[in-house]
Amino acid sequence: MEGKSGKGVGASLLRKEDERHLRGRGEFVGDIQRPGMLEAAFVRSPVAHARIKGIEKPAGFEDRVFTMDDLADVKAIRAVTAIKGFKPSDMWPLARGKVRHVGEPIAVCVAATRAEAEDIAAQVYVDFEELPAVVDMVEARTSPPSLVHEEWGDNVFLETLVDDDFTAVRARAPIKLRRHVRTARQSMAPMEGRGVLCEWNTRLGQLEMYSSAQMPHINRSGLSECLGLDQGAIRVIAPDVGGGFGYKGILLSEEICLAWLSRRLGRPVRWLEDRREQLVASTNCREHDYDITIYAERDGRLIGIDCDATVDSGAYSLYPFSACLEGAQVASILPGPYKMEHFRCHTWSACTNKPPILPYRGVARTGVCFALELMMDAVAREAGMEPYEVRLANLVLPSEMPYDNITKKHFDSGDYPEAVRKAVAAIDLPKWRARQKAGEADGRRIGVGLSVYCEQGAHGTSVYSGWGIPMVPGHEQCFARLSPDGVLELRIGAQSHGQSMETTFAQVANEILGVDPDKVRLIHGDTALTPYSTGTWGSRCAVMSGGAVATAAREIAQRVKKIAGKLMEVAVEDLVLEDGKVKVAGTDKQMTLAEVAHVWYRAPQRLPADVDPGGLEATVGYKPQRDTGTFSYACHAVVVAVDPEIGHTEILDYVIVEDGGTLINPMVVDGQIYGGTAQGIGTALYEEMNYDGEGQPLASTLADYMPPDRPKCPNRASST
Amino acid sequence: MSTRTITLQVNGKTVTAAVEPRLHLADFLRDRQLLTGTHIGCEHGVCGACTLEIDGAPARSCITYAATCDGASVRTIEDFDADPVMAELRAAFSAEHALQCGYCTPGMLATARDIVLRLPQADEARIRKELSGNLCRCTGYVGIVRAIKRVLAARKEKTHAA
Repeated sequence: MEGKSGKGVGASLLRKEDERHLRGRGEFVGDIQRPGMLEAAFVRSPVAHARIKGIEKPAGFEDRVFTMDDLADVKAIRAVTAIKGFKPSDMWPLARGKVRHVGEPIAVCVAATRAEAEDIAAQVYVDFEELPAVVDMVEARTSPPSLVHEEWGDNVFLETLVDDDFTAVRARAPIKLRRHVRTARQSMAPMEGRGVLCEWNTRLGQLEMYSSAQMPHINRSGLSECLGLDQGAIRVIAPDVGGGFGYKGILLSEEICLAWLSRRLGRPVRWLEDRREQLVASTNCREHDYDITIYAERDGRLIGIDCDATVDSGAYSLYPFSACLEGAQVASILPGPYKMEHFRCHTWSACTNKPPILPYRGVARTGVCFALELMMDAVAREAGMEPYEVRLANLVLPSEMPYDNITKKHFDSGDYPEAVRKAVAAIDLPKWRARQKAGEADGRRIGVGLSVYCEQGAHGTSVYSGWGIPMVPGHEQCFARLSPDGVLELRIGAQSHGQSMETTFAQVANEILGVDPDKVRLIHGDTALTPYSTGTWGSRCAVMSGGAVATAAREIAQRVKKIAGKLMEVAVEDLVLEDGKVKVAGTDKQMTLAEVAHVWYRAPQRLPADVDPGGLEATVGYKPQRDTGTFSYACHAVVVAVDPEIGHTEILDYVIVEDGGTLINPMVVDGQIYGGTAQGIGTALYEEMNYDGEGQPLASTLADYMPPDRPKCPNRASST
Repeated sequence: MSTRTITLQVNGKTVTAAVEPRLHLADFLRDRQLLTGTHIGCEHGVCGACTLEIDGAPARSCITYAATCDGASVRTIEDFDADPVMAELRAAFSAEHALQCGYCTPGMLATARDIVLRLPQADEARIRKELSGNLCRCTGYVGIVRAIKRVLAARKEKTHAA
């Protein structure tokens, strides 16, 4: 790598994104208006499961209310997987025949303002014949009160089995522990909800959609399939997006409806999701049930894990991730970072009368980690060992790296035990053990928790092709252009909504081209301006889009050197790129990048006839040498004081040891870790999307669905 | 629906408008005055994203009706470009990585500015308590608390030096 500017890879450079947001001048979908724009409001199901006997539009508003009958030329959203036995669901953009969860859209109403559109929506009469609601995921498959999709004959999207013979293990294992573990259904709850603005451009014959989305190119492909438009007739723009966390990685029914409406009405139409819609009508996440048995030796070494896991996938299979990704991932990652000889996992992706689910920050990882680490603690108690000692007895060792684990995950590198040792030392375990022994004057109980995991990022083709969902990742492209003024323009198909890519990818470019990060512009999230991409999901962008940026920057570097070499009459090998200049090594001869670019674009007469006409712009792709993904890893240690009477929990200390490999911007990485940890605290202590026996959501505002606020997050959080 | 005519100061300018009684201040500012820096997060007064200044004090514009603001003076994030306290907060928020997606940021800054001016002696516990009405889903609050502490510390030092 060339250039040591202090602004490249490894620098905690302050963010380029900050300026606009700190002045309230970002641009989110809700900030955009168009002349003649209409606002949309949806009529949503108030019941979890019912047949629709009829829909009556209010008199005088027939041309403002639209149902699936009006959208007759629109296809259902179908996210099918290639895994044998998967049962597809047709998710109609507006309900057809039946509603399958509270909040499912039934009709869409338009008016000059949202308030007026809601007034109309309130007058739409829907005649329901209610059906028993399927609410519990285990009951859904074992004793279903009704069938969510009657044609299936059961309530299971997909059943998978990773089999193994435990007969001998059962007979000989000195430690055998069985537990039933459940995790709560959650909402990712980004601060900005979804929002969609559609306008039909008659000059281009093109739908222009602004959408608060993580994967605009995938939305475009999905829209094309459902609307019967060719992909060139659709442009999707994700402007500033107010947090995603997986919630915005989906083709929405609302997007299809608005696209259809804008063309039909010849007017721009906007819909902004409100918080109630977000919590009860759109997607949820993370509801798992584990019946798990762990077998171990007396010294704490694992023999094997046998698990029946159920995931509540909700009512429909969502595009593109499908209803089975979470369940399939459970079976694939349950062994965690540990070694074992036997592994059996039976999974069910259950269909219920609740909103469908999407992956939330670590596909299935949170639930898996919770179940597995509880079992490791149980083994520790049974073996009379410290919980960290049981971890150390089972973690893959650095000397064994790279290591293919029992589910064929290729752990690329790392020192997992050292992460545990560092965390245990940093939290000062002996101090807390002594305090536990002494007891608390206020009657509270002190608890020390430990959790280790490795996390697959940059998912490659081989894993996803096996699942066969509508989107298989593999490679990533970047368009780079050194402009005539020396400013580097980078275009990527992913979308940055808090990940700080505008800054970090400028650092990557600086590392290679020596261009000042202030002179790098990242364009992202616009299908008309960027190369195709599966988008921002699954901890992939630093590796995949970053890899594409680096590869494109190297290509531009070579081209700059070729032109500069001709101009300065030196060999390309003698040139170095730093400080925004092309320098001849060992001399004071140099040109700025702007000078080189100027000659190329504006004064080619200064170049010899045999110059490479490739120029200073290129789209270059990146594909990792191995496509099995990257494996970062971490150990978290926490000390809490719990009031045994009311359960109130105070975090006394929290330590994170994480190895993320080469950090592009350590400040940004720490920010991601702090934010993820706060979300984890919410998962553990505060957040729960509860449903009653009739499938009615019991958390519909941020007063009863509680993302952690500031006093609930730890004062001292240190990461290493 | 009937409307009521109000006259108020918005970022130092006099604005007269006819508003429906049900229109909340955030929608009025965003959709009618095109001041989109005020963000809407929950519309039930919990998340704090819409926090701005009414008559010198922080307030939630999503649970304030525009019709009740007749005669009031409203300041949104757009009006703080030249404000010295906000300039310090902007620099500190950037230095401490106190924002990621930026959606909660305008409301967070409105509350932060109020803390800095009203509670110059605030310690970390007090800062956290004061900020409990502003949700951020990205940062885990670490950078936000540090940013406010940084501004308070710098202002204290300046006072001592003077």
